[in-house]
Amino acid sequence: MKEMLAILFLAILTNNFVLVKFLGICPFLGVSKKLGTAVSMAAAVTLVMVMATAATWPIYYYLLAPNGLDYMQTIVFILVIAALVQLLEVVLHRYSSALYSALGIYLPLITTNCAVLGVTVLNITDNYTFGAAIVNSLGAGIGFLLAMVLFAGVRSRLEACDVPSSLQGLPITLIAASIVAMSFLGLGGVVENIFA
Amino acid sequence: MKEIIKVSATLAAICAAVTLAVAGANLLTADKIAQSEQKAITDSLGEVLPCDSYDSVSDNCYKAADKGYIFITAANGYGGEVSVMTAIAPDGKIIAVKVLSCSDETPGLGQNSQKAAFTDQYKGQSGSLEVVKSGAADGQINAITSATITSRAVTAAVNEALAQFDSIAKEAVK
Amino acid sequence: MSDNLKILKRGIIDENPALRLVLGTCPTLAVTTSAINGLGMGLAATFVLLGSNIVVSLLRNVIPNKVRIPAYITIIAGFVTVVQMLVKAFLPAIDSALGIYLPLIVVNCIILARAEMFAGKNRVLPSVFDALGMGIGFTAALLLMGMIRELLGAGTLFGITVTANFIAPMTLMLLPPGGFFIFGVLIALANKLSVKKGKQPVNKLGCSGDCASCPTSCGGDAQ
Repeated sequence: MKEMLAILFLAILTNNFVLVKFLGICPFLGVSKKLGTAVSMAAAVTLVMVMATAATWPIYYYLLAPNGLDYMQTIVFILVIAALVQLLEVVLHRYSSALYSALGIYLPLITTNCAVLGVTVLNITDNYTFGAAIVNSLGAGIGFLLAMVLFAGVRSRLEACDVPSSLQGLPITLIAASIVAMSFLGLGGVVENIFA
Repeated sequence: MKEIIKVSATLAAICAAVTLAVAGANLLTADKIAQSEQKAITDSLGEVLPCDSYDSVSDNCYKAADKGYIFITAANGYGGEVSVMTAIAPDGKIIAVKVLSCSDETPGLGQNSQKAAFTDQYKGQSGSLEVVKSGAADGQINAITSATITSRAVTAAVNEALAQFDSIAKEAVK
Repeated sequence: MSDNLKILKRGIIDENPALRLVLGTCPTLAVTTSAINGLGMGLAATFVLLGSNIVVSLLRNVIPNKVRIPAYITIIAGFVTVVQMLVKAFLPAIDSALGIYLPLIVVNCIILARAEMFAGKNRVLPSVFDALGMGIGFTAALLLMGMIRELLGAGTLFGITVTANFIAPMTLMLLPPGGFFIFGVLIALANKLSVKKGKQPVNKLGCSGDCASCPTSCGGDAQ
Protein backbone atom coordinates (compact mmCIF):
# COMPACT_ATOMS: atom_id res chain seq x y z
CA MET A 1 0.00 0.00 0.00
CA LYS A 2 2.76 2.38 1.02
CA GLU A 3 4.65 1.51 -2.13
CA MET A 4 1.58 2.23 -4.27
CA LEU A 5 1.08 5.60 -2.58
CA ALA A 6 4.73 6.40 -3.20
CA ILE A 7 4.36 5.55 -6.91
CA LEU A 8 1.21 7.67 -7.11
CA PHE A 9 2.73 10.76 -5.52
CA LEU A 10 6.02 10.34 -7.36
CA ALA A 11 4.11 10.35 -10.64
CA ILE A 12 2.02 13.37 -9.65
CA LEU A 13 4.72 15.60 -8.18
CA THR A 14 8.33 14.47 -8.60
CA ASN A 15 8.06 13.06 -12.08
CA ASN A 16 5.25 15.31 -13.24
CA PHE A 17 4.69 14.37 -16.86
CA VAL A 18 4.39 17.90 -18.19
CA LEU A 19 6.68 19.97 -16.02
CA VAL A 20 9.47 17.46 -15.37
CA LYS A 21 9.33 14.88 -18.15
CA PHE A 22 8.15 17.24 -20.92
CA LEU A 23 5.44 14.89 -22.16
CA GLY A 24 2.16 16.27 -23.46
CA ILE A 25 3.51 19.79 -23.97
CA CYS A 26 1.21 20.50 -26.93
CA PRO A 27 -2.07 20.16 -25.02
CA PHE A 28 -0.43 21.80 -21.99
CA LEU A 29 0.32 24.95 -24.00
CA GLY A 30 -2.65 24.55 -26.34
CA VAL A 31 -5.69 24.07 -24.16
CA SER A 32 -4.66 25.47 -20.79
CA LYS A 33 -6.12 28.87 -21.59
CA LYS A 34 -9.45 28.24 -19.95
CA LEU A 35 -9.88 26.29 -16.74
CA GLY A 36 -12.95 24.37 -17.91
CA THR A 37 -11.42 23.03 -21.12
CA ALA A 38 -8.15 22.31 -19.30
CA VAL A 39 -9.96 20.10 -16.77
CA SER A 40 -11.97 18.25 -19.45
CA MET A 41 -8.90 17.61 -21.55
CA ALA A 42 -6.89 16.36 -18.58
CA ALA A 43 -9.75 14.11 -17.46
CA ALA A 44 -9.93 12.57 -20.94
CA VAL A 45 -6.15 12.07 -20.97
CA THR A 46 -6.22 10.40 -17.54
CA LEU A 47 -9.00 8.05 -18.62
CA VAL A 48 -7.16 7.06 -21.80
CA MET A 49 -3.84 6.65 -19.95
CA VAL A 50 -5.32 4.19 -17.45
CA MET A 51 -7.22 2.29 -20.15
CA ALA A 52 -4.19 2.18 -22.44
CA THR A 53 -2.04 0.81 -19.64
CA ALA A 54 -4.67 -1.80 -18.77
CA ALA A 55 -4.56 -2.91 -22.41
CA THR A 56 -0.86 -2.61 -23.31
CA TRP A 57 0.65 -4.10 -20.14
CA PRO A 58 -0.93 -7.56 -20.61
CA ILE A 59 -0.26 -7.42 -24.36
CA TYR A 60 3.44 -6.83 -23.72
CA TYR A 61 3.91 -9.43 -21.00
CA TYR A 62 1.62 -12.18 -22.31
CA LEU A 63 1.86 -11.70 -26.07
CA LEU A 64 4.99 -9.85 -27.12
CA ALA A 65 7.69 -10.72 -24.57
CA PRO A 66 7.10 -14.53 -24.43
CA ASN A 67 7.31 -14.73 -28.24
CA GLY A 68 10.44 -12.59 -28.54
CA LEU A 69 8.46 -9.86 -30.25
CA ASP A 70 9.32 -7.08 -27.81
CA TYR A 71 10.79 -5.06 -30.67
CA MET A 72 7.24 -4.64 -32.00
CA GLN A 73 6.37 -2.69 -28.83
CA THR A 74 6.22 0.80 -30.35
CA ILE A 75 4.06 -0.20 -33.30
CA VAL A 76 1.66 -2.34 -31.30
CA PHE A 77 1.27 0.21 -28.50
CA ILE A 78 0.44 3.13 -30.77
CA LEU A 79 -2.09 1.06 -32.72
CA VAL A 80 -3.71 -0.19 -29.50
CA ILE A 81 -3.97 3.38 -28.24
CA ALA A 82 -5.47 4.56 -31.53
CA ALA A 83 -8.02 1.74 -31.54
CA LEU A 84 -8.86 2.33 -27.88
CA VAL A 85 -9.51 6.02 -28.41
CA GLN A 86 -11.79 5.24 -31.36
CA LEU A 87 -13.67 2.68 -29.29
CA LEU A 88 -14.04 5.03 -26.35
CA GLU A 89 -15.39 7.71 -28.64
CA VAL A 90 -18.01 5.39 -30.11
CA VAL A 91 -19.05 4.05 -26.69
CA LEU A 92 -19.30 7.51 -25.13
CA HIS A 93 -21.23 8.79 -28.13
CA ARG A 94 -23.79 6.02 -27.83
CA TYR A 95 -24.23 5.65 -24.08
CA SER A 96 -23.39 8.91 -22.38
CA SER A 97 -24.11 12.08 -24.23
CA ALA A 98 -23.16 14.20 -21.21
CA LEU A 99 -19.69 12.68 -20.98
CA TYR A 100 -19.34 12.75 -24.73
CA SER A 101 -20.08 16.44 -24.98
CA ALA A 102 -17.60 17.12 -22.18
CA LEU A 103 -14.73 14.91 -23.36
CA GLY A 104 -15.62 13.94 -26.90
CA ILE A 105 -13.92 16.69 -28.84
CA TYR A 106 -10.60 16.02 -27.10
CA LEU A 107 -10.54 12.30 -27.76
CA PRO A 108 -9.26 12.37 -31.37
CA LEU A 109 -6.44 14.65 -30.24
CA ILE A 110 -5.31 12.18 -27.61
CA THR A 111 -4.21 9.34 -29.90
CA THR A 112 -0.97 11.03 -30.71
CA ASN A 113 -0.53 12.77 -27.37
CA CYS A 114 2.96 11.70 -26.41
CA ALA A 115 2.02 11.52 -22.73
CA VAL A 116 -0.23 8.52 -23.38
CA LEU A 117 2.29 6.52 -25.40
CA GLY A 118 4.93 7.74 -22.95
CA VAL A 119 3.22 6.35 -19.87
CA THR A 120 2.62 2.94 -21.48
CA VAL A 121 6.27 2.67 -22.54
CA LEU A 122 7.56 3.88 -19.16
CA ASN A 123 5.46 1.27 -17.34
CA ILE A 124 7.36 -1.39 -19.27
CA THR A 125 10.86 0.14 -19.00
CA ASP A 126 10.44 0.73 -15.26
CA ASN A 127 9.45 -2.93 -14.73
CA TYR A 128 6.22 -2.08 -12.91
CA THR A 129 3.81 -4.82 -11.91
CA PHE A 130 0.29 -4.56 -13.34
CA GLY A 131 -1.08 -2.84 -10.23
CA ALA A 132 1.84 -0.44 -10.01
CA ALA A 133 1.51 0.35 -13.71
CA ILE A 134 -2.15 1.27 -13.30
CA VAL A 135 -1.37 3.44 -10.26
CA ASN A 136 1.50 5.08 -12.14
CA SER A 137 -0.79 5.89 -15.08
CA LEU A 138 -3.41 7.32 -12.76
CA GLY A 139 -0.72 9.44 -11.09
CA ALA A 140 0.60 10.61 -14.44
CA GLY A 141 -2.92 11.67 -15.43
CA ILE A 142 -3.56 13.48 -12.16
CA GLY A 143 -0.16 15.17 -12.49
CA PHE A 144 -1.16 16.30 -15.97
CA LEU A 145 -4.43 17.65 -14.55
CA LEU A 146 -2.59 19.46 -11.75
CA ALA A 147 -0.16 21.10 -14.17
CA MET A 148 -3.00 22.14 -16.51
CA VAL A 149 -5.08 23.64 -13.70
CA LEU A 150 -2.15 25.50 -12.14
CA PHE A 151 -1.07 26.83 -15.50
CA ALA A 152 -4.59 27.90 -16.49
CA GLY A 153 -4.52 30.12 -13.40
CA VAL A 154 -1.14 31.58 -14.31
CA ARG A 155 -2.27 32.30 -17.84
CA SER A 156 -5.41 34.11 -16.81
CA ARG A 157 -3.13 36.53 -14.92
CA LEU A 158 -0.85 36.77 -17.93
CA GLU A 159 -3.72 38.01 -20.09
CA ALA A 160 -3.78 41.30 -18.23
CA CYS A 161 -0.03 41.92 -18.47
CA ASP A 162 1.73 44.32 -20.77
CA VAL A 163 4.28 42.11 -22.50
CA PRO A 164 7.09 43.34 -24.83
CA SER A 165 6.04 42.74 -28.43
CA SER A 166 8.60 40.02 -29.29
CA LEU A 167 7.62 38.05 -26.22
CA GLN A 168 3.87 38.21 -26.80
CA GLY A 169 1.98 34.98 -27.15
CA LEU A 170 3.96 31.78 -27.07
CA PRO A 171 7.34 33.06 -25.76
CA ILE A 172 5.91 34.60 -22.58
CA THR A 173 3.74 31.50 -22.11
CA LEU A 174 6.89 29.35 -22.17
CA ILE A 175 8.70 31.64 -19.74
CA ALA A 176 5.71 31.47 -17.40
CA ALA A 177 5.82 27.67 -17.74
CA SER A 178 9.48 27.86 -16.76
CA ILE A 179 8.56 29.53 -13.48
CA VAL A 180 5.78 27.01 -12.78
CA ALA A 181 8.28 24.21 -13.49
CA MET A 182 10.67 25.81 -11.02
CA SER A 183 8.03 25.59 -8.30
CA PHE A 184 7.78 21.85 -9.00
CA LEU A 185 11.53 21.47 -8.44
CA GLY A 186 10.92 22.53 -4.87
CA LEU A 187 8.63 19.54 -4.41
CA GLY A 188 11.40 17.23 -5.56
CA GLY A 189 12.69 15.63 -2.39
CA VAL A 190 9.44 15.91 -0.43
CA VAL A 191 7.82 12.70 -1.65
CA GLU A 192 10.92 10.55 -1.22
CA ASN A 193 11.48 11.85 2.28
CA ILE A 194 7.89 11.07 3.28
CA PHE A 195 7.92 7.54 1.90
CA ALA A 196 11.61 6.68 2.36
CA MET B 1 -19.64 -3.09 -48.44
CA LYS B 2 -17.18 -3.58 -51.26
CA GLU B 3 -15.46 -0.36 -50.31
CA ILE B 4 -15.07 -1.40 -46.66
CA ILE B 5 -13.39 -4.61 -47.74
CA LYS B 6 -11.05 -2.76 -50.05
CA VAL B 7 -10.14 -0.20 -47.37
CA SER B 8 -9.57 -2.84 -44.72
CA ALA B 9 -7.51 -4.95 -47.09
CA THR B 10 -5.24 -2.03 -47.97
CA LEU B 11 -4.74 -1.18 -44.30
CA ALA B 12 -4.06 -4.81 -43.44
CA ALA B 13 -1.56 -5.04 -46.30
CA ILE B 14 0.28 -1.95 -45.05
CA CYS B 15 0.37 -3.35 -41.50
CA ALA B 16 1.66 -6.68 -42.79
CA ALA B 17 4.34 -5.00 -44.93
CA VAL B 18 5.52 -2.83 -42.02
CA THR B 19 5.60 -5.86 -39.71
CA LEU B 20 7.65 -7.82 -42.23
CA ALA B 21 10.07 -4.94 -42.71
CA VAL B 22 10.54 -4.50 -38.97
CA ALA B 23 10.98 -8.23 -38.42
CA GLY B 24 13.62 -8.20 -41.17
CA ALA B 25 15.41 -5.25 -39.58
CA ASN B 26 15.31 -7.11 -36.28
CA LEU B 27 16.99 -10.15 -37.85
CA LEU B 28 19.73 -7.93 -39.23
CA THR B 29 20.40 -5.95 -36.07
CA ALA B 30 19.62 -8.42 -33.25
CA ASP B 31 23.13 -9.90 -33.18
CA LYS B 32 24.75 -6.50 -33.32
CA ILE B 33 22.55 -5.22 -30.47
CA ALA B 34 23.41 -8.24 -28.31
CA GLN B 35 27.08 -7.71 -29.16
CA SER B 36 27.13 -4.04 -28.21
CA GLU B 37 25.24 -4.75 -24.98
CA GLN B 38 27.76 -7.48 -24.13
CA LYS B 39 30.65 -5.20 -25.11
CA ALA B 40 29.31 -2.43 -22.84
CA ILE B 41 29.33 -4.87 -19.90
CA THR B 42 32.78 -6.25 -20.69
CA ASP B 43 34.20 -2.75 -21.08
CA SER B 44 32.79 -1.72 -17.72
CA LEU B 45 34.11 -4.91 -16.09
CA GLY B 46 37.56 -4.05 -17.43
CA GLU B 47 37.24 -0.54 -16.03
CA VAL B 48 36.36 -1.49 -12.46
CA LEU B 49 38.64 -4.53 -12.19
CA PRO B 50 41.02 -5.30 -15.05
CA CYS B 51 41.45 -9.03 -15.53
CA ASP B 52 42.19 -11.39 -18.43
CA SER B 53 38.91 -13.26 -18.20
CA TYR B 54 35.70 -13.10 -16.24
CA ASP B 55 33.59 -16.06 -15.15
CA SER B 56 29.91 -15.42 -14.92
CA VAL B 57 28.78 -16.63 -11.49
CA SER B 58 25.16 -15.56 -11.94
CA ASP B 59 23.16 -13.04 -13.97
CA ASN B 60 24.54 -10.11 -12.06
CA CYS B 61 27.81 -11.45 -10.65
CA TYR B 62 31.17 -12.01 -12.31
CA LYS B 63 34.33 -13.54 -10.83
CA ALA B 64 37.62 -12.00 -11.92
CA ALA B 65 40.06 -14.90 -11.27
CA ASP B 66 41.51 -14.46 -7.76
CA LYS B 67 41.26 -10.66 -7.87
CA GLY B 68 37.70 -10.54 -6.59
CA TYR B 69 34.06 -10.34 -7.59
CA ILE B 70 32.09 -7.81 -9.63
CA PHE B 71 28.40 -7.26 -8.98
CA ILE B 72 25.78 -5.39 -11.01
CA THR B 73 23.03 -4.11 -8.73
CA ALA B 74 20.32 -1.49 -8.97
CA ALA B 75 18.23 0.74 -6.73
CA ASN B 76 15.54 3.35 -7.31
CA GLY B 77 16.84 6.88 -7.68
CA TYR B 78 15.12 10.16 -8.39
CA GLY B 79 13.73 9.49 -11.83
CA GLY B 80 14.02 5.73 -12.16
CA GLU B 81 16.42 2.88 -11.70
CA VAL B 82 20.12 3.54 -11.10
CA SER B 83 22.32 0.60 -11.97
CA VAL B 84 25.75 0.25 -10.42
CA MET B 85 28.75 -2.02 -10.92
CA THR B 86 30.79 -2.79 -7.80
CA ALA B 87 34.14 -4.60 -7.73
CA ILE B 88 34.95 -6.21 -4.37
CA ALA B 89 38.33 -7.72 -3.44
CA PRO B 90 38.51 -11.15 -1.74
CA ASP B 91 39.05 -9.39 1.64
CA GLY B 92 35.64 -7.68 1.30
CA LYS B 93 36.97 -4.21 0.51
CA ILE B 94 35.55 -2.27 -2.45
CA ILE B 95 38.01 -1.87 -5.32
CA ALA B 96 35.93 0.39 -7.53
CA VAL B 97 32.35 1.53 -8.17
CA LYS B 98 30.95 2.55 -11.54
CA VAL B 99 27.49 3.97 -12.11
CA LEU B 100 26.30 2.24 -15.28
CA SER B 101 23.08 4.01 -16.10
CA CYS B 102 21.43 6.97 -14.48
CA SER B 103 19.94 8.72 -17.50
CA ASP B 104 16.69 9.26 -15.61
CA GLU B 105 18.52 11.26 -12.97
CA THR B 106 18.72 15.03 -13.26
CA PRO B 107 21.51 16.23 -15.57
CA GLY B 108 23.99 18.35 -13.66
CA LEU B 109 22.83 17.01 -10.29
CA GLY B 110 22.05 13.29 -10.00
CA GLN B 111 24.06 12.46 -13.11
CA ASN B 112 27.17 13.76 -11.32
CA SER B 113 27.06 10.41 -9.50
CA GLN B 114 29.00 9.04 -12.47
CA LYS B 115 31.95 11.30 -11.71
CA ALA B 116 35.06 9.93 -10.01
CA ALA B 117 34.83 12.60 -7.27
CA PHE B 118 31.77 10.76 -5.99
CA THR B 119 32.51 7.12 -6.82
CA ASP B 120 36.10 7.24 -5.50
CA GLN B 121 34.65 7.63 -1.99
CA TYR B 122 33.64 3.97 -2.05
CA LYS B 123 37.16 2.67 -2.61
CA GLY B 124 38.50 0.62 0.30
CA GLN B 125 35.18 0.70 2.17
CA SER B 126 33.47 -2.44 3.41
CA GLY B 127 30.55 -3.64 5.54
CA SER B 128 27.44 -1.49 5.12
CA LEU B 129 27.62 2.13 4.06
CA GLU B 130 25.45 5.14 4.82
CA VAL B 131 25.02 8.53 3.19
CA VAL B 132 25.69 11.78 5.06
CA LYS B 133 25.37 15.37 3.81
CA SER B 134 29.00 16.23 4.59
CA GLY B 135 32.04 15.28 6.68
CA ALA B 136 31.91 11.55 5.94
CA ALA B 137 33.82 9.27 8.32
CA ASP B 138 34.75 5.65 7.69
CA GLY B 139 31.72 3.70 6.44
CA GLN B 140 30.04 6.90 5.31
CA ILE B 141 29.64 8.56 1.92
CA ASN B 142 29.28 12.28 1.26
CA ALA B 143 26.13 12.93 -0.76
CA ILE B 144 26.36 14.93 -3.98
CA THR B 145 25.07 18.45 -3.34
CA SER B 146 21.33 18.65 -4.16
CA ALA B 147 21.28 15.01 -5.20
CA THR B 148 20.85 13.16 -1.92
CA ILE B 149 18.32 10.75 -3.40
CA THR B 150 20.61 9.65 -6.22
CA SER B 151 23.51 9.33 -3.75
CA ARG B 152 21.34 7.15 -1.53
CA ALA B 153 20.30 5.01 -4.49
CA VAL B 154 23.91 4.39 -5.55
CA THR B 155 24.85 3.55 -1.97
CA ALA B 156 21.90 1.20 -1.60
CA ALA B 157 23.00 -0.61 -4.76
CA VAL B 158 26.58 -0.84 -3.43
CA ASN B 159 25.33 -2.17 -0.08
CA GLU B 160 23.34 -4.80 -1.97
CA ALA B 161 26.55 -5.81 -3.74
CA LEU B 162 28.40 -6.00 -0.40
CA ALA B 163 25.63 -8.17 1.02
CA GLN B 164 25.76 -10.49 -2.00
CA PHE B 165 29.54 -10.72 -1.59
CA ASP B 166 29.10 -11.69 2.06
CA SER B 167 26.81 -14.57 1.21
CA ILE B 168 29.26 -15.80 -1.45
CA ALA B 169 32.16 -15.54 1.00
CA LYS B 170 30.19 -17.54 3.60
CA GLU B 171 29.43 -20.22 0.99
CA ALA B 172 33.14 -20.49 0.28
CA VAL B 173 34.04 -20.96 3.97
CA LYS B 174 31.59 -23.85 4.24
CA MET C 1 15.41 21.79 -59.43
CA SER C 2 15.20 25.30 -58.01
CA ASP C 3 11.74 24.42 -56.74
CA ASN C 4 13.24 21.61 -54.73
CA LEU C 5 15.88 23.91 -53.31
CA LYS C 6 13.12 26.31 -52.31
CA ILE C 7 11.36 23.46 -50.51
CA LEU C 8 14.63 22.66 -48.74
CA LYS C 9 15.22 26.25 -47.64
CA ARG C 10 11.61 26.64 -46.52
CA GLY C 11 12.00 23.76 -44.10
CA ILE C 12 15.27 25.00 -42.67
CA ILE C 13 14.47 28.70 -42.28
CA ASP C 14 11.04 30.09 -43.17
CA GLU C 15 9.07 27.22 -41.72
CA ASN C 16 11.58 25.87 -39.24
CA PRO C 17 9.53 23.13 -37.57
CA ALA C 18 10.77 23.80 -34.03
CA LEU C 19 11.06 27.58 -33.96
CA ARG C 20 8.57 28.79 -36.58
CA LEU C 21 5.91 26.07 -36.83
CA VAL C 22 6.44 25.11 -33.18
CA LEU C 23 5.90 21.40 -33.76
CA GLY C 24 7.55 18.60 -31.84
CA THR C 25 7.89 20.65 -28.67
CA CYS C 26 8.26 17.64 -26.36
CA PRO C 27 11.62 16.38 -27.68
CA THR C 28 12.78 19.96 -28.27
CA LEU C 29 12.45 20.62 -24.56
CA ALA C 30 13.27 17.21 -23.15
CA VAL C 31 16.46 15.98 -24.79
CA THR C 32 18.32 19.24 -25.32
CA THR C 33 20.33 19.03 -22.11
CA SER C 34 23.49 18.63 -24.17
CA ALA C 35 24.51 19.43 -27.73
CA ILE C 36 25.17 15.81 -28.62
CA ASN C 37 21.73 14.69 -27.38
CA GLY C 38 20.03 17.42 -29.42
CA LEU C 39 21.98 16.38 -32.49
CA GLY C 40 21.20 12.68 -31.97
CA MET C 41 17.48 13.34 -31.53
CA GLY C 42 17.41 15.62 -34.58
CA LEU C 43 19.13 13.08 -36.80
CA ALA C 44 16.92 10.22 -35.60
CA ALA C 45 13.80 12.27 -36.33
CA THR C 46 15.21 13.27 -39.74
CA PHE C 47 15.75 9.62 -40.65
CA VAL C 48 12.16 8.74 -39.71
CA LEU C 49 10.83 11.79 -41.53
CA LEU C 50 12.74 10.93 -44.70
CA GLY C 51 11.58 7.32 -44.64
CA SER C 52 7.95 8.11 -43.92
CA ASN C 53 7.81 10.92 -46.50
CA ILE C 54 9.19 8.62 -49.22
CA VAL C 55 6.86 5.72 -48.42
CA VAL C 56 3.78 7.90 -47.94
CA SER C 57 4.49 9.72 -51.20
CA LEU C 58 4.95 6.41 -53.07
CA LEU C 59 1.71 5.04 -51.65
CA ARG C 60 -0.29 8.27 -51.93
CA ASN C 61 -2.57 6.82 -54.63
CA VAL C 62 -2.92 3.45 -52.91
CA ILE C 63 -3.85 4.46 -49.37
CA PRO C 64 -7.61 5.02 -49.08
CA ASN C 65 -8.42 8.49 -47.81
CA LYS C 66 -10.57 7.21 -44.95
CA VAL C 67 -7.84 5.25 -43.24
CA ARG C 68 -4.89 7.39 -44.17
CA ILE C 69 -4.10 8.47 -40.61
CA PRO C 70 -3.85 4.91 -39.21
CA ALA C 71 -1.86 3.95 -42.30
CA TYR C 72 0.55 6.87 -41.80
CA ILE C 73 0.95 6.06 -38.10
CA THR C 74 1.75 2.43 -38.89
CA ILE C 75 4.37 3.43 -41.46
CA ILE C 76 5.93 5.98 -39.10
CA ALA C 77 5.95 3.50 -36.21
CA GLY C 78 7.75 1.01 -38.47
CA PHE C 79 10.51 3.51 -39.25
CA VAL C 80 10.79 4.53 -35.60
CA THR C 81 11.27 0.89 -34.60
CA VAL C 82 14.02 0.52 -37.21
CA VAL C 83 15.74 3.66 -35.88
CA GLN C 84 15.48 2.31 -32.34
CA MET C 85 17.22 -0.90 -33.46
CA LEU C 86 19.95 0.94 -35.37
CA VAL C 87 20.69 3.30 -32.48
CA LYS C 88 20.75 0.41 -29.98
CA ALA C 89 23.12 -1.53 -32.21
CA PHE C 90 25.55 1.19 -33.22
CA LEU C 91 25.17 4.10 -30.78
CA PRO C 92 24.27 2.57 -27.39
CA ALA C 93 25.36 5.74 -25.54
CA ILE C 94 22.83 7.85 -27.49
CA ASP C 95 20.20 5.16 -26.87
CA SER C 96 20.51 5.46 -23.10
CA ALA C 97 20.65 9.27 -23.26
CA LEU C 98 17.49 9.63 -25.37
CA GLY C 99 15.70 6.82 -23.52
CA ILE C 100 11.94 6.96 -23.86
CA TYR C 101 12.02 9.95 -26.24
CA LEU C 102 13.31 7.72 -29.04
CA PRO C 103 10.12 5.60 -29.36
CA LEU C 104 8.13 8.78 -28.85
CA ILE C 105 9.26 10.04 -32.27
CA VAL C 106 6.12 8.15 -33.42
CA VAL C 107 3.94 10.85 -31.97
CA ASN C 108 6.18 13.75 -32.97
CA CYS C 109 3.81 16.24 -34.63
CA ILE C 110 6.31 17.11 -37.36
CA ILE C 111 6.38 13.68 -38.97
CA LEU C 112 2.65 13.07 -39.14
CA ALA C 113 2.10 16.68 -40.19
CA ARG C 114 4.53 16.38 -43.12
CA ALA C 115 2.95 13.09 -44.21
CA GLU C 116 -0.50 14.66 -44.10
CA MET C 117 0.31 18.08 -45.50
CA PHE C 118 3.06 17.35 -48.02
CA ALA C 119 4.05 13.76 -48.81
CA GLY C 120 0.44 12.59 -49.20
CA LYS C 121 -0.08 15.12 -51.99
CA ASN C 122 3.29 15.38 -53.75
CA ARG C 123 5.65 13.30 -55.86
CA VAL C 124 8.60 11.50 -54.30
CA LEU C 125 11.43 13.88 -55.13
CA PRO C 126 9.84 17.03 -53.66
CA SER C 127 8.84 14.93 -50.62
CA VAL C 128 12.46 13.94 -50.14
CA PHE C 129 13.53 17.59 -50.19
CA ASP C 130 10.68 18.51 -47.87
CA ALA C 131 11.81 15.82 -45.40
CA LEU C 132 15.44 16.91 -45.64
CA GLY C 133 14.58 20.58 -45.18
CA MET C 134 12.29 19.97 -42.22
CA GLY C 135 14.71 17.44 -40.75
CA ILE C 136 17.73 19.72 -41.03
CA GLY C 137 15.72 22.63 -39.65
CA PHE C 138 14.58 20.54 -36.67
CA THR C 139 18.10 19.19 -36.08
CA ALA C 140 19.64 22.67 -36.28
CA ALA C 141 17.13 24.05 -33.76
CA LEU C 142 17.70 21.16 -31.36
CA LEU C 143 21.47 21.43 -31.73
CA LEU C 144 21.36 25.18 -31.09
CA MET C 145 19.19 24.71 -28.03
CA GLY C 146 21.37 21.86 -26.76
CA MET C 147 24.51 23.96 -27.21
CA ILE C 148 23.06 26.93 -25.34
CA ARG C 149 21.78 24.79 -22.47
CA GLU C 150 25.00 22.78 -22.22
CA LEU C 151 27.17 25.90 -22.30
CA LEU C 152 25.13 27.77 -19.69
CA GLY C 153 24.19 24.78 -17.57
CA ALA C 154 27.37 22.72 -17.54
CA GLY C 155 29.98 25.09 -18.95
CA THR C 156 30.88 22.58 -21.65
CA LEU C 157 30.26 22.14 -25.38
CA PHE C 158 30.05 18.61 -26.85
CA GLY C 159 31.51 17.49 -23.52
CA ILE C 160 34.60 19.72 -23.77
CA THR C 161 35.06 22.19 -20.94
CA VAL C 162 34.65 25.76 -22.16
CA THR C 163 33.59 28.14 -19.44
CA ALA C 164 33.19 25.81 -16.46
CA ASN C 165 36.59 26.76 -15.06
CA PHE C 166 35.96 30.47 -14.66
CA ILE C 167 32.17 30.85 -14.66
CA ALA C 168 30.16 28.71 -12.28
CA PRO C 169 27.67 26.75 -14.48
CA MET C 170 23.98 27.46 -13.92
CA THR C 171 22.67 23.93 -13.39
CA LEU C 172 19.12 25.33 -13.58
CA MET C 173 19.53 25.60 -17.37
CA LEU C 174 19.79 21.81 -17.58
CA LEU C 175 16.67 21.36 -15.46
CA PRO C 176 13.11 21.59 -16.84
CA PRO C 177 12.66 25.34 -16.05
CA GLY C 178 15.77 26.11 -18.10
CA GLY C 179 14.31 24.18 -21.04
CA PHE C 180 11.08 26.20 -21.05
CA PHE C 181 13.00 29.45 -20.57
CA ILE C 182 15.57 28.97 -23.34
CA PHE C 183 12.87 27.76 -25.76
CA GLY C 184 10.75 30.84 -24.98
CA VAL C 185 13.71 33.16 -25.53
CA LEU C 186 14.66 31.44 -28.80
CA ILE C 187 11.14 31.76 -30.20
CA ALA C 188 11.06 35.42 -29.15
CA LEU C 189 14.38 35.89 -30.98
CA ALA C 190 13.09 34.11 -34.09
CA ASN C 191 10.01 36.36 -33.94
CA LYS C 192 12.14 39.48 -33.69
CA LEU C 193 14.22 38.45 -36.70
CA SER C 194 11.23 37.56 -38.84
CA VAL C 195 9.37 40.76 -37.96
CA LYS C 196 12.44 42.67 -39.16
CA LYS C 197 12.18 40.78 -42.45
CA GLY C 198 8.54 41.76 -42.66
CA LYS C 199 7.08 38.37 -41.75
CA GLN C 200 4.43 37.43 -39.26
CA PRO C 201 5.62 36.58 -35.74
CA VAL C 202 4.61 33.18 -34.40
CA ASN C 203 2.53 33.38 -31.34
CA LYS C 204 0.71 30.15 -31.38
CA LEU C 205 1.42 26.47 -31.64
CA GLY C 206 1.98 25.01 -35.07
CA CYS C 207 -0.93 22.65 -35.17
CA SER C 208 -3.42 24.68 -33.21
CA GLY C 209 -6.75 25.79 -34.50
CA ASP C 210 -6.82 23.95 -37.75
CA CYS C 211 -6.62 20.47 -36.38
CA ALA C 212 -7.95 18.99 -39.58
CA SER C 213 -4.69 19.83 -41.28
CA CYS C 214 -2.66 18.50 -38.38
CA PRO C 215 -4.31 15.46 -36.86
CA THR C 216 -1.88 15.39 -33.96
CA SER C 217 -1.81 16.01 -30.30
CA CYS C 218 -2.64 19.64 -29.89
CA GLY C 219 -5.77 21.59 -30.11
CA GLY C 220 -7.04 24.97 -29.19
CA ASP C 221 -5.09 28.13 -29.35
CA ALA C 222 -1.92 28.99 -27.50
CA GLN C 223 -2.36 32.71 -27.39
